[in-house]
Amino acid sequence: MPHKRRSLTRRDFLRGTLGATVGTSLIGTKWLRAGRKAAGSSLVTIVRDKGAMDASNNVNPEVLKTMLDQTLTKLTGKKTAKDAWLSFVKPEDTIGLVPTPHLNPTHKEVVDAVRSSLIDAGIPENKILDAQGGPDKPKACTALIGLPALKAHWLTGIGTVMKLYILYSGRPSNYHDQNNSKLGEIWNLPFVKGKTRLVLVDALHPLCDKGPQVNPRYKWAYNGLIAGTDPVALDTVCLRIITEKRKDIRGEPWPLSPPPLCVEAADKVYGLGTSNWDKIKVELSGWKEGVLLG
Amino acid sequence: MQESKPTLPKTVGLWTRPDSPKLVTAKNIFDYMDGAGELYIGYRFDHLEYYEYKAQNQNGILVELYFMKTSDDAFGLLSLDWEGERVELAGDSVEMAGKTEKMAAEPVRLSKSLRSKAAREGSSWPRALYGEGLLRLWSDTIYARIMAHQETLESKKAVLAIGRSIIKDRGNPPPPKLLKKLPNSFPEDWMLGKDRTSYFRSYLVLNSIYYLGQENMLNLDLNSEAVTSPYEKKDSGGEKRVHFLLLQYPGNKQARQALGHFHKVYLPEHPIFFQSDSSGEISNIFLIEDGWLGYKIKDNTIAFIFECPDQKTARTIINQV
Repeated sequence: MPHKRRSLTRRDFLRGTLGATVGTSLIGTKWLRAGRKAAGSSLVTIVRDKGAMDASNNVNPEVLKTMLDQTLTKLTGKKTAKDAWLSFVKPEDTIGLVPTPHLNPTHKEVVDAVRSSLIDAGIPENKILDAQGGPDKPKACTALIGLPALKAHWLTGIGTVMKLYILYSGRPSNYHDQNNSKLGEIWNLPFVKGKTRLVLVDALHPLCDKGPQVNPRYKWAYNGLIAGTDPVALDTVCLRIITEKRKDIRGEPWPLSPPPLCVEAADKVYGLGTSNWDKIKVELSGWKEGVLLG
Repeated sequence: MQESKPTLPKTVGLWTRPDSPKLVTAKNIFDYMDGAGELYIGYRFDHLEYYEYKAQNQNGILVELYFMKTSDDAFGLLSLDWEGERVELAGDSVEMAGKTEKMAAEPVRLSKSLRSKAAREGSSWPRALYGEGLLRLWSDTIYARIMAHQETLESKKAVLAIGRSIIKDRGNPPPPKLLKKLPNSFPEDWMLGKDRTSYFRSYLVLNSIYYLGQENMLNLDLNSEAVTSPYEKKDSGGEKRVHFLLLQYPGNKQARQALGHFHKVYLPEHPIFFQSDSSGEISNIFLIEDGWLGYKIKDNTIAFIFECPDQKTARTIINQV
């Protein structure tokens, strides 16, 4: 019988012993831990445009398209959005788009913009699927493009990148309370692992307090798209933005509670990327006011 | 006063509601709000009735009436966030932030210091808070959220009018008795952060306010109750803060079991053993990673103080409880 590890506490988080205390996988397979991370720094791009939304928070599709094109070329170094996409996916791929489905969901305009951009890059429309949902969704895809919305979450601290695939586990409620630090293991499932080609965070109208339902006081027009291929680095940057906004609102530090254990665990236990700010390179383009990177 | 069910206006301003509300129970709350149902289940939730008010060429207004088993639970839900403009809904006009206004065009924004001042000096807890299109209120056993998807002058008037209709002819019970056990201050000059005080029954709620751990180490359930609040050193500008947690259980035995469980999970290096039928007062203080932790257990009540800067402060506060 496996030794029952003690549960994670605030003291583990303070001591930095999260990795030793995360415990056994919920899915039960030992290879779900300790993947190998790439060496070097992880690039995260932030493209912002003050005109991305109007005063009533309606998205401007033309501005959004320009932001998307800039994101793709800056992230890849390619000259066109088409070339950028073709460095991530092939026309033979079945590509799953994975938006945040509720509680500050991903803007439909962002999903549509990505779909249109892929089609313009030569991907057949019938090869672009909606891949948010149960395990059957990623199983039908050879490539995934994460499209999470930037938000805090009352059970996991942050509910953006690491939480995006929670439904793929087939048992999402298992990851809501005691085991939210284990969200990273879902990314290592055999029908998920290695398929994520790009994560593009919808940071147009983020939510910086946990909810569980939206309180408009804690939403603001950041008007940004945040992108990268390292999901942990992305969540780390998103965390910084949320934390700085919260500090801005209260006029004093206002840390997330519970702390976003899933991000640190995704780095130190599941090897999905880096949560070390010194190993993340952020490239910022466009509107600079209120960038909230500290 | 016997509690009456609110009668919401069929039409308010430009908006009209359907004839009947939609009903959500504990069985289907996760379908309605995936990942959020645990919050309401963590209080004594009975059911939810919601309406979507609609208007031509306008965004809608969502009205959610959470019927809780007790007034304390409805208060608890409001207490999770004291931010917003305080609203007095009784009567024909609406008082906001201490001024009587006939639907101000712009919400009054109080600075942090003014909000704290108002919270400390107020003789009562707010029963309704408004901000950016959302009105949250506590009316006896109902906790309500009335949210305009797009805030306009007209939608604000409508939201506040709906709020008035909810509270009309309903009782005004006091807040939970447990709150009376919160001292306004501890020696020396540790002041209660009333605007950060929350009442709850669930460890998930506690973790969303002050994270202790993944496990329900204090054995919280619907038969227990708790209140938590920071205390701030006067004139420290928020730099010095300790965190107070007060829990009450159905009986002495449950309190002792909870404390034993807490020791096992949070203080494994300091094991403690209770006789199942033991009573009497016990207090302890320990130095851990984020400062001094102290507690006192007496009868069915446990008080904790976290993140004390020194042993003397921890001891002084715990002795004062």
